[in-house]
Amino acid sequence: MSSHDLLDIVRRDPRAEWIARNRLHPLHGTLVDDDAAEVRGPSGLLRKYPHRVGFIGPNGIKRIDRLKGNAAASGKGRRSAAQEVQLPLHRVENPDFYIVVVADMVGGRLTGHDKDVLGQAHKLAAGIEGAGAVLTVGFGSAKEEHFDTAGVDRLLVLDDDIYEGYCPEQRLAALLQVENEYQPRHWLFPDSVNGGTDLGSRLAARLHERPAVQAWQVDHQTAVCRGAGGTMDITRETPRLLMLAEECADQIDETRHEALPVTLTPVSVISQLQDQGPVAVDPNAVALAEAEFILSAGNGIHDWDQFHAAAAVLGATEGASRVAVDDGFMPRFRQVGATGTWVTARVYLAVGISGAIQHMQGIGQCDKVIAINTDAGCDMVKRASLSAIGDSEEILGELIKRVQAFRAQPSIEGDQDAA
Amino acid sequence: MIFEWLHPLLIATALLLAVIGAVRRVKLWRAGQPDQVDLMAGLMAMPGRYLHDLHDIVERDKYMSRTHAATGGGFVLSALLIMLVHLLGIDSQILAWALLASLALMFVGALFVFKRRLNPPSRISKGPWMRLPKSLLAFAVGFFVLTLPAAGVLSDGFMSQVGGVLLTLVLTALIIWGMGELFFGMTWGGPMKHAFAGALHLAFHRRQERFGGGRSTGLKPLDLSLATEVGGVLGVAKPTDFKWNQLLGFDACVQCGKCEAVCPAFAAGQPLNPKKLIQDMVVGLAGGSDAKYAGSPYPGIEVGNAKGGPNQIITDGLLAPETLWSCTTCRACVEECPMMIEHVDAIVDMRRFLTMEKGSTPNKGAEVLDNIIATDNPNGYAPASRTHWAADQNLPLMRDVKQAEVLFWVSDGAFDMRSQRILRAFVKLLKAAKVDFAVLGDEELDCGDVARRLGDDATFQNLAKRNLAVLSQYKFSKIVTTDPHAYHCLRNEYNDFGSDALNGVEVFHHTTFLNSLVQQGSLQLDPFIGGKVTYHDPCYLGRYNGEYEAPRELLRSMGIEIAEMERSGFRSRCCGGGGGAPITDIPGERRIADMRMEDANETGAELVAVGCQQCTAMLEGVVEPRPQVKDIAEILVGQLVDPTANGLAKEVH
Amino acid sequence: MQPNSSQKLKIVTLVSVGKHPQSGRVRRADQDSRAVELGLRLSADQADGLVVLHAGDPNEPSLRSYAGMGLTAINVLQLDPAADAVAPLGEQLHQSGADIVLTGVRAESGEGSGMLPYQLAEKLGWSIVPRVADIVSVKEGVAEVLQALPRGQRRAVKVRLPFIASIDTAAPMARQSAFGPAQRAAMTVTVVNAETDTLRQSWHEAVAKKRPKRLKVIKAKTAAERFKAATAKSQSEGGRIMKQESAGEQAQAILDLLVEEGVLR
Repeated sequence: MSSHDLLDIVRRDPRAEWIARNRLHPLHGTLVDDDAAEVRGPSGLLRKYPHRVGFIGPNGIKRIDRLKGNAAASGKGRRSAAQEVQLPLHRVENPDFYIVVVADMVGGRLTGHDKDVLGQAHKLAAGIEGAGAVLTVGFGSAKEEHFDTAGVDRLLVLDDDIYEGYCPEQRLAALLQVENEYQPRHWLFPDSVNGGTDLGSRLAARLHERPAVQAWQVDHQTAVCRGAGGTMDITRETPRLLMLAEECADQIDETRHEALPVTLTPVSVISQLQDQGPVAVDPNAVALAEAEFILSAGNGIHDWDQFHAAAAVLGATEGASRVAVDDGFMPRFRQVGATGTWVTARVYLAVGISGAIQHMQGIGQCDKVIAINTDAGCDMVKRASLSAIGDSEEILGELIKRVQAFRAQPSIEGDQDAA
Repeated sequence: MIFEWLHPLLIATALLLAVIGAVRRVKLWRAGQPDQVDLMAGLMAMPGRYLHDLHDIVERDKYMSRTHAATGGGFVLSALLIMLVHLLGIDSQILAWALLASLALMFVGALFVFKRRLNPPSRISKGPWMRLPKSLLAFAVGFFVLTLPAAGVLSDGFMSQVGGVLLTLVLTALIIWGMGELFFGMTWGGPMKHAFAGALHLAFHRRQERFGGGRSTGLKPLDLSLATEVGGVLGVAKPTDFKWNQLLGFDACVQCGKCEAVCPAFAAGQPLNPKKLIQDMVVGLAGGSDAKYAGSPYPGIEVGNAKGGPNQIITDGLLAPETLWSCTTCRACVEECPMMIEHVDAIVDMRRFLTMEKGSTPNKGAEVLDNIIATDNPNGYAPASRTHWAADQNLPLMRDVKQAEVLFWVSDGAFDMRSQRILRAFVKLLKAAKVDFAVLGDEELDCGDVARRLGDDATFQNLAKRNLAVLSQYKFSKIVTTDPHAYHCLRNEYNDFGSDALNGVEVFHHTTFLNSLVQQGSLQLDPFIGGKVTYHDPCYLGRYNGEYEAPRELLRSMGIEIAEMERSGFRSRCCGGGGGAPITDIPGERRIADMRMEDANETGAELVAVGCQQCTAMLEGVVEPRPQVKDIAEILVGQLVDPTANGLAKEVH
Repeated sequence: MQPNSSQKLKIVTLVSVGKHPQSGRVRRADQDSRAVELGLRLSADQADGLVVLHAGDPNEPSLRSYAGMGLTAINVLQLDPAADAVAPLGEQLHQSGADIVLTGVRAESGEGSGMLPYQLAEKLGWSIVPRVADIVSVKEGVAEVLQALPRGQRRAVKVRLPFIASIDTAAPMARQSAFGPAQRAAMTVTVVNAETDTLRQSWHEAVAKKRPKRLKVIKAKTAAERFKAATAKSQSEGGRIMKQESAGEQAQAILDLLVEEGVLR
């Protein structure tokens, strides 16, 4: 009985209450649950905290949702529509000159690199007297829907069949035609492995231009380019033809452009190069050092068949810790680490690797590390952006199932990602 | 009486054949490259070397040393007396009795050899070696009976009276058998070849410094001008590219298999067996195949398919390159070899050919060498980042101070995050002991150890010369390093390049140096409280430089009672990290480091004390659970009594 | 890899002076040495099938490390360091009657624009195939080559001889350069006159500066957004650790991250 009595007595702590009332007290935060708008007070009464009720609306004005989220279905659409602001339209009626950007258009969409180059084109145009228009040339069928906000004033999409696949000679002929018809002030190419470098170099050689290559800081007067394998900066007068490095300039984001389609007199050449199409490459044949997604196995792997199956389903390149290699489960060239291969993967999924110091050195350049491990205290978990603590077999099994399900669904999301 | 002419004739024939064989054998050796040896001095010193240096090694096995002393001593004495008594016919009872005595001694010895061969350990070669005790017995018995008349025990007519023709025939057969093995076989390639070649090997050994208790472990520099000479070849391609006394050394092998028993690569199932390697060299120098080899094979490689000749490329048919690349250069085989054969020299000589002529250093070898050439460190880090580890250490640079008492040679551990912990610990100790020291900073280069063991002597010499050039700019009296490999290079291998940068400079391993500091009282240590501790001897500190005691004394000074592993001291087993073995990475059935950790586990130790960053890396690479691995410097730092804190405490009192 | 050897191929590999990315020391250039490797493989069954050509200083030490791959000789067009190498190289190739010319994609020293193979192709009127990973076969005057695409992908291209191929880092690794052969190889020197590269003399060259990473600029449209952007906590450094969740939830979280990173394809 007595203990029950004791529990019934509400004991007040005047100091705590005082601190709870005083929002400026340094210990205030420890006593008050910041997020809750409604707090049980010391005497058991419900206390409302009006400052914490509601949220900041799109216009910066506080809104209190008295329907407690039940109105979300109707309200949301309107709110986001209100947020979409119509950007001012940038018009070039009668261009004094053209700056041509030959975009890579990987998968029919402008790449980030293309957009950087478009930004650079406008920066160049702004520095030159007169009204310049940025003419974007793209090959193959275009799926891009936002040419306007990317900074395209004029758009030339060459989507005839002859431009499909790898046909640099045909594309070069088209670019020469552009040269004839538009006499562009500048030719800009993304300096990329997706074709920009190849086409740019071909055009430069044909036009006997000395292009600026790996240019990363360009205005209408001088261009700074990386030379000597990226170890030197060459400062020179801005040439007519430039191949630009990634992030050379800021992308267009405050204006909208006309993206007026233009046409070109058709040309065709006899090609010396014959594209035989892509060759199927096993992700496991990709060199570890250049793989962008690695599934790596360590001492904690017991079901190796499952591991290989997981790598196949994920489309990941296989890696291994030294121990897994020493134990003969993986070949030596799969070893990741200071004593094996130094990897540069964007995502490194380490299964059952606790993370010896040499291994951690080897993955130093990886962007995102995901760890699956039984030991939450190991170094790999400390390094990882996401760690799953548990039985690797079970988690891998679940992951395989989910990835298969993910691949089976109509890939709307995948499509958007490709750009 | 037929004996009067038959047996002297037989003896004379056997000796003549032996001489012909000897000349033939010497010719085979002389096909090798010239080497500067003082022939006369060597021959004069030979008996002493046999009785002292060689016997010291054999003495590790008391049974064998006594057996060999009796058998070998008895035989040598008998052979001399046989020539006097039976060949020259000197009629002296004293000589005859002496001969009988020596034959008896030999007989007793041979009985023990026989006993040993009844159930021989696997390391010992079988084949012709199994008949050797019987041949020895035949020789002893045959000549014993033959000598009886001369000693006056039996009358001259005894033979014809009693045994008649039958006894004569038996006796003659025994003598022919005995002499066939012991005289003829000695120079024509039987087991007894070891006596003939071994004796000469002692006389003309390529490393004369080893005799009289000396130590000679540094590799011999390669003459790089050979590259552009007509017909010149770098390293050893064919058996005749060895120095002649190296070839002689191969012939001295007794196939006792002591090397095989200690070889870490062999135990790990990698395709190397030092004994077979030496025997293959013998096949190479004499021509033929290894079909008659009767010992353990290279793990995983069948015996009988290897063929070679004096002028055939060794790695084309005689030896698989993997055999050469399996070696960790731990020198355990050399340390054990009773005939003082230099296995490691031979292996590195052949590696030089593979790397510098064929460009076929396996696995990561080529990449590591490229990195060393381009960045002066094996992993290709930016040379300017060599001192990044010490950004917070405030180390005095030689470039600034120009002189210091001690030069701290940091080594390539500077680039490795694990080794950096050892370096920091050592710096803390140096500072605590107020040692006047400085580092070279970015001016320091890789010591060249890895390049040299991988056979790239050009790169080693380049690094050595450039390091010496840097060292010669500064004044210091001591060099201390935490890396036994750098220690070995600086102490033993940098002296071949005509630089005076290291004249009067003492090179220390950090354990030796720290021990002297502790003994002087410059470092105050708390007793170590913790579990059992064992100590792993790094090969390049122990066998290469003879430092076994200082690290142990250091541990003892912290009150640690070392739980010694079964293989410790000069018999310590390698961690598997030497000689570029982790780089060339030849697959085996086990890992050497795992076996070493097994050794440590057997002592029940919770901590393995090490004195080498390579050993630390290898032993820590063993999958847990396992004892902790710490460098001695790291253990010391943990027990360091901070003098400033102490002083304050006293003042307060 | 073994090309059809019914006809004798004449292969020329152009090599330049490489520069180690970490130490800046001269070396054999990575791509160029892969081009030598490919040349050696293509001409493995014919003696002296591969000609290695360099325009520059015959005493350049890095040439020796190409020679160490087993070359008996390197042909050097000796010219002024400031000269433009395209014209003399084109002349030399024109005379040599080469079937395949191999180069690197971009040089590790000098301008490193990667224009040289294109300019040579233009000058000679040959085809150029950039970023080649391998030459699979040469049959009846047509070569089938594999082009390296990003992330380890490959494309097959057929091209008529003669052609120029620039060799990508995806091509087979160059064999080890051995000291002995490197010392023994002969440098066959031809002195040529070439025009000075005047344009380049007006350029300013300096050690590369570190490029700043682009910041994510938040362009807020309302005061509240600006306020939020200014006060928002930066992304927590520590990773997310999932301990209590079921294996299914953990797998889902991993999958979400993979999708977000766009590595599932």
